[in-house]
This record gives sequence, C-alpha cells and structure tokens, in this order.
Amino acid sequence: MRVALIRLAILGALVLAWELLARAANPLLYVPPSVVVPALGRLLVLDSYPELPQSLLLTLREIVIAYALAIAAGLGCGFVLGLNRLVGRAYGPILAALYAVPAVVWYPSLMLFFGLDAASKIAFGFLLGFFPITLAVLAGVRQVNPHMVLVARAFGARPAVVFAKVMVPAMLFTLVGGLRTGLALSVIGVIVGEILGSKGGMGALINHAYGLFRTADYVALVLVTLALVVASDVVASLVERRAQRWSD
Amino acid sequence: MSDLIAVERVGKRYLTGSGPIEALRDVRGGLVVPDGGRVVVDGRPVTGPDPRRVATVFQEAGLFPWRTALENIEFGLELQGVPRGQRRAVATELLGPLGLREFGAKYPRELSGGMRQRVAIGRALAIDTQIILMDEPFGALDEQTRLLMGEWLLDIWRRTRKTVVFVTHSLHEALALSTRVVVMTARPGRIKSVLELPMAYPRAMESADLIALRAKLWSDIRDESLRAMGDA
Repeated sequence: MRVALIRLAILGALVLAWELLARAANPLLYVPPSVVVPALGRLLVLDSYPELPQSLLLTLREIVIAYALAIAAGLGCGFVLGLNRLVGRAYGPILAALYAVPAVVWYPSLMLFFGLDAASKIAFGFLLGFFPITLAVLAGVRQVNPHMVLVARAFGARPAVVFAKVMVPAMLFTLVGGLRTGLALSVIGVIVGEILGSKGGMGALINHAYGLFRTADYVALVLVTLALVVASDVVASLVERRAQRWSD
Repeated sequence: MSDLIAVERVGKRYLTGSGPIEALRDVRGGLVVPDGGRVVVDGRPVTGPDPRRVATVFQEAGLFPWRTALENIEFGLELQGVPRGQRRAVATELLGPLGLREFGAKYPRELSGGMRQRVAIGRALAIDTQIILMDEPFGALDEQTRLLMGEWLLDIWRRTRKTVVFVTHSLHEALALSTRVVVMTARPGRIKSVLELPMAYPRAMESADLIALRAKLWSDIRDESLRAMGDA
C-alpha cells in the first residue's frame, strides 16, 4: 500500500514536471500532459487515427506469432543443446556471442529477406525473443540436481519421464524467467521493427504522427503502445509468480 | 527372507573398486553396471532399475521440492501408473507409521532432515517391494535423530517384514538393527566376514554378547579402515 502511494507520488511529480517544462518550451516539439490527454481521448474514440484497432491487432498478431516461434525454437534449441553435452559445449559459446551482438544490425537484412510487411517484424521479434529463451533453457538444464535424476531412475523413470517429471519442474523458475524476458524482447522487436520501416501496425502510426509533427498524437500512440507492453509483462509476471511458488 | 541386513562399509571408496561384492551397489536400483558377476534377486537377474522388486533410499533424501510430502511418497506409484486415488490412499496410510500425519501437505523445505528422510523411506515403502536398499540413509542426520530413526526403522521393519539391505559406517547401527552384518574390505570391496545376530529387539547394547560382537566387528573393520585412510 505504501509502495503504491510512493509510486503514485513519483508519477504525479513526473507528470507535473512534464507539464511545467513542456509549457516553457516549443509546443511543436514538447507537448504537455494537458494536451496529450485530449489527444489520447481523440485517439481512443478513433477520431485522430480511425485505423487504431486494425493497427493494434496487427501489432498484437505479429507479437503473438513472433513469440510463439521464439518459444518453439528457443525450447527446442535449448533442450537439444542442453541435453547433448557435446553439442552444447560446441555450440553454447557461439550462441552467447550472437546474443551479445546488438540485434538491430540484423534488421536491414531481415527487411531485405522478408519485405516491409509483417513477416520482417515477426522475424525480428522472433530473433530477439529466441536468445533469452534458449539461454534460460541451457542454464535451467545445468541447474537440475543430478541426484534427483538418479532417484527418478531408481524408481523406474525412463528418459522421457525424467524429463517431464524431474527436469522441467526443477528448472521451471529459470525457464519462466527466460520466457518472460523473451516476451518482452519479442514485443520490443516487433515494435522497433515497425518503427524502422513498415506499412502497418502501431509502429507505422507512430512514424506517421511524428513525421507530420502531430506530436500530441504521437505521444498518445506511444502511451497506447506502452499499455500493450506493460499488459503483456503483467501477464508474464503473474505466470512467473505462480512458477516461483512451485520451485524451491 | 525377511532379514534386516546391515552392511558395515569400510571407506567410501570401495565402491569404485572392482569385485563381485560391488553387487551391493549394483543392486542399488540397478543404476551401476557390474564389472563382473551377476546381481540376482529370487533367481532372476537384475539388469537395470527394477522398482517392482527393489526400492532404494539414498543418503540424501532426494525429495522433489515442488511436490508435497504426500506427492513425494506417491512418486514411485505414479511412475507405475497406479491411479491417483489409489496411490493417494497408499501414501496417506503410510503417513501415520512415518510419523508424518500432520505433514502430508508440507513441502520438503518445510520439513526437518529426519522428516525428509522418512518421506524418502515412505517413497520406497509405497511401491511395496520385498527388498529395500538403504545406502547410509541416516548418514546425513545428527546423532540423536539418527538413533531415533534407527528405532523407528526397526518398528517399520517389524510391521512390514521386508528385506532391508542397509549400508552404514556406524557400528552401533549395524549391531542394533541387523540380523546379519556383512563386513566389507576397503577397495576392492569384497566380503570380509559375516556375523549373524539372532538377538531379539530392542537390543540391550550393553549385554555381554553384543559387547563381544562389537569387539569382533571392530577388529574386522579396523584394518580395513586403516587401509582406507591410507588410500585417501
């Protein structure tokens, strides 16, 4: 409760500072909250950008597809590398090095490969989400206490059963953490991709608004996008908390 | 064939040696492939983990932290495909003798070391094999808990009449619990001597025959312990 109050106070102070500073500056570049709120209203009643629902839906769809692909490939890759010690040792460092490369450098080639439509955004969101998930699986596999595996085998568990009943629950917390990071990065990938060049989605609207110096609309669009990101992270953190209760 | 057998193991590392008596470790859920010889239970060879005939308790309880005590006890039955209701019933019935009646819904982190080990023993009892292997099951517990757990195990054994192969470093445990003690050499681990202990339970550890047996046991073990120390 007190945390919430303090958080509210900080937010209030920020908004106030924003209002005061923006009023003192060029109104074309700096819009105060008192202007943004009406703009947000116009956006939400589909006045300023009637195509908002389609754009939001498109962005959402790209995120869902990118994230689903990142999960599938990340889990697959992670488990193959994690469970085969030789392959893992050979390939692990390469993966970590690739992860360290700022992913934006890949985006131009992705646009060349996949064009300006949804595919390149999905590919970028996938690329960003894939690495943390894979690395979390790798870390998780290493975390599993070998004694537990031994116990399970002594009680007759075959490899598939060991995997499902021992390894996955034992690494669940790390796994869910990786999935959460992966989701955040997939979202970022899709939106950044849209902003860098696209014909649809929230990124395209944002581009349009700031390109025309419709700064208030631009800020309103950013706020909607922010709400989308925060909502996805809230869902992820709820899942994570659930997993935490399970693990040690 | 319902003996409580205790094995005084001399030096941990005999396990890595070779010899027919490795069998003892090998039977341990069939997790180790014998270097030679065969492991046979009731005339049929054991070639891998065989939870229908042999249950295992390890020195570390090895409970699954995401499962409650009950769910841990059910683990073996679950793997054998026993329906949920039935395995829950078996596990719940075990809670009383395990002294865990109030603790079925607790997670391992909420249990003491002795309780955890009893859950591990419950997990072995639940699959109802004729043979239970216990590899220093009380080795990680403090002295008092260890003594009490020994008494408790005797009680369980008298109710269930299973064959327990009990590996221990403790002379006291060997003498207080066993109907037969097999002394093993330092590596390579071989059978050095076998003592029969027909005395009734609970045993008066200060009685003349137990004191004599203790002396005999110690003299058998002493050389091996010295060798093991030299090895280490």
